[in-house]
Amino acid sequence: MESLKKKDLALIELELLSHVNWSRKSVIWLGTLVFLFAICIYFYFQQLKHGLGVTGLNDYVSWGIYISNFVFFVAASLIGMLISSIMGLIGVKWILPISRIAEIIALSFAMVAGLIIITDMGRPDRLHHLFIYGRIQSPIVWDITVVITYVVLSFLLLYLPLIPDMILCKDKCSQIPPFQRKMYKILSLGWTNTTGQYQLMKRFMKILMVLIIPVALAIHTVTSWLFALTLRAGWDSAIFGPYFVSGAFVAGSAAVIIAMFFYRNSFKLKDYITHVHFDKMGKLLVMVALVYVYFNINEIIVPAYKLKGGEAEHLKSMLAGSDSIMFWTVQLGGLIIPFALLVIKRMRRPLPLTIISVIILVAAWFKRYLIVVPIQEHPYYPIQNVPEELMHYSPTIAEIAITAGPFILLLIIITVLSKLFPVIPIWEIKENLEHEK
Amino acid sequence: MKNSKVVWTILLFACCSAIAMAQEKWLVPEANNDMLSILIFDEDTQLEGKLIYTRSCRSCHGDPTKKDFTIMSPSPGDVASDLYQDQTDGSLFYKIQKGRGPMPSFENAFSEEEIWSLVSYIRSFNPEYQQKLPNLEGIEIPNLTLHISYDENIDKLVVKVTSDSLEVMADASVKAYIQGMFGKYPLGSEMTNELGIAYFHIDSKIPGDTEGYLDILVKTYKDYGTAKYAGKIQAGNPTIRKSAIEGRHLWSAAKKAPIWMIIIFNMMGIGIWGVIIYVIFGLRKFKKLS
Ligand code: HEC
Repeated sequence: MESLKKKDLALIELELLSHVNWSRKSVIWLGTLVFLFAICIYFYFQQLKHGLGVTGLNDYVSWGIYISNFVFFVAASLIGMLISSIMGLIGVKWILPISRIAEIIALSFAMVAGLIIITDMGRPDRLHHLFIYGRIQSPIVWDITVVITYVVLSFLLLYLPLIPDMILCKDKCSQIPPFQRKMYKILSLGWTNTTGQYQLMKRFMKILMVLIIPVALAIHTVTSWLFALTLRAGWDSAIFGPYFVSGAFVAGSAAVIIAMFFYRNSFKLKDYITHVHFDKMGKLLVMVALVYVYFNINEIIVPAYKLKGGEAEHLKSMLAGSDSIMFWTVQLGGLIIPFALLVIKRMRRPLPLTIISVIILVAAWFKRYLIVVPIQEHPYYPIQNVPEELMHYSPTIAEIAITAGPFILLLIIITVLSKLFPVIPIWEIKENLEHEK
Repeated sequence: MKNSKVVWTILLFACCSAIAMAQEKWLVPEANNDMLSILIFDEDTQLEGKLIYTRSCRSCHGDPTKKDFTIMSPSPGDVASDLYQDQTDGSLFYKIQKGRGPMPSFENAFSEEEIWSLVSYIRSFNPEYQQKLPNLEGIEIPNLTLHISYDENIDKLVVKVTSDSLEVMADASVKAYIQGMFGKYPLGSEMTNELGIAYFHIDSKIPGDTEGYLDILVKTYKDYGTAKYAGKIQAGNPTIRKSAIEGRHLWSAAKKAPIWMIIIFNMMGIGIWGVIIYVIFGLRKFKKLS
């Protein structure tokens, strides 16, 4: 904030609005994304036409990389809202410039997560059956409910503080098409910057910020219950909820840091998203990684000491068997070593921190794979003469493309959102500066 | 020195081949080898054989077909293997009865019938097996009739075996079962006394239908004559069976979800969505405040 104090408010406005346009670069970038997404859509049509047979899923491994990906997206969506709401409620000031970035990340991941489940369905045309015939005893129904609730809540939390900034865009941005101006006008709901309006907005914000905390924790707890409420060894664990939630903190923080880095560089926001923010987010990452390590130790040591039945088989293949290379790479390379590095102050500067975050995020994806897939490669009941091909799962090209699709869609949503709206809450920054003067 | 080594080697060979010989040849006298079963093998004889096998043979011979017999010398082998299936019924009977070395003799432990039922069980692992029946020409086969009743004072099923002409049949073998949904529960195997009667204890706690009826199956055998009875006897405990999907459970259909779950689910849904809707409707106030 120190660097901003010297700046004129008008200059701040100008700088923060400068990326709200459809520059050549952004259009080319979006075009590329749409093209790539079209390829994924092609593969999805193949799947619609020929069924899930085009995937590597089989009788045993019926949840493959689609569901791993779903769990990953839900995980990455969790922390964004928590950062902005918990810090906002406590009154932490440094978080202000990155709170909207965190929210954009959260909302985009959550929106796409819902779509990923549909790709795992053999008959997506029967999606509505879930609402007609769904049983509330089923965790899948809870999960759908809570994901939808979270998307709506995080949309509102992103939308409300955008309203004053939309008025600003409408008045100040020159290079935008007329329909966009009209959109701002409609979406700003007759906002005129009166004190009464601000008071009401802040009141709504406070309500929503409190409400989102349990809902955010619930989305990932319920997602973990999709696994933990079964009797399958390896999923049948009482700490799966907090285990997933703490893992989500790690993945989500890494995703926010990566987004901060790209916004900072391509939108020229170096004065707003400073070294201080990276340093603090780095420390937050260390803290949440520690919690996650703690849950990992519990999740592995407790069953590994007892080594009962199916769990023993699963743990052996994980710790020393067929899945051990991926397991140790993820645990050491994606959690322990990054965490140890982040303790060093120099490593929390923007570039190294971002590189470490990318590694953590990639490892987080494979961690979800390790949680979902290998367990299913062992038969649920002791069965003889299982065809060998059922015991192994490897995704097909179509499946990989359909899994890449959500990532591309995610980038499209994030790009569009950050081209339509300022990624740093202008009015809050101004309000804050005035307050300090 | 050299000589003694040669001697030792020869001795060792001799011993080995002696053991090998002993293992190979288990001679069964001709007459015993050709002996045929006094029972006609069917599911019931197999079931009885299985029960005896599990109790008295499994510890050495393991589960048939799994080749998990105990390792010893000579090897007991898997009873489903060709070693067993290539022999005659009479040979198996003889070997079980007499035993050899570590294989115990079961002559005093089991009746002939029980040993035949063991043979019947061993044969059940051979799909190609066809039972060889004795030539019954010239033998008079009795026509048996069963008379079933239940004495509730002593909880006993009373089975009387007679001929067609109601002549009492002593020393007929009788087996009784309770018919369950997926199998039979053996009540026992008895010989009729001089009055032609055999008793079977029925535990009165065994759940019957709503009025306490049990499905009873009785079979008798004497000199190749057989008779069978299947019917209901009021000997069990009257039981009202509840369907597992009756009532509200986690596994019930959507309409029968547990009440507490409906309440909690809806309370949370209404609570959270109530606030969301309140905020969404509240957005209209922005216009009024401008
Ligand atoms: C204490 C261990 C033991 C038990 C108990 C046992 N067996 Fe054996 N059985 C053996 C051994 C060892 C042999 C091999 C004997 C030999 O070849 O000299 C054998 C051999 C046999 C053979 C002859 C196989 C051949 O070589 O032709 C039959 C038949 C047989 N057992 C049936 C049974 C049955 C039926 C039972 C249960 C009533 C039973 N056994 C219980 C150890 C056992």
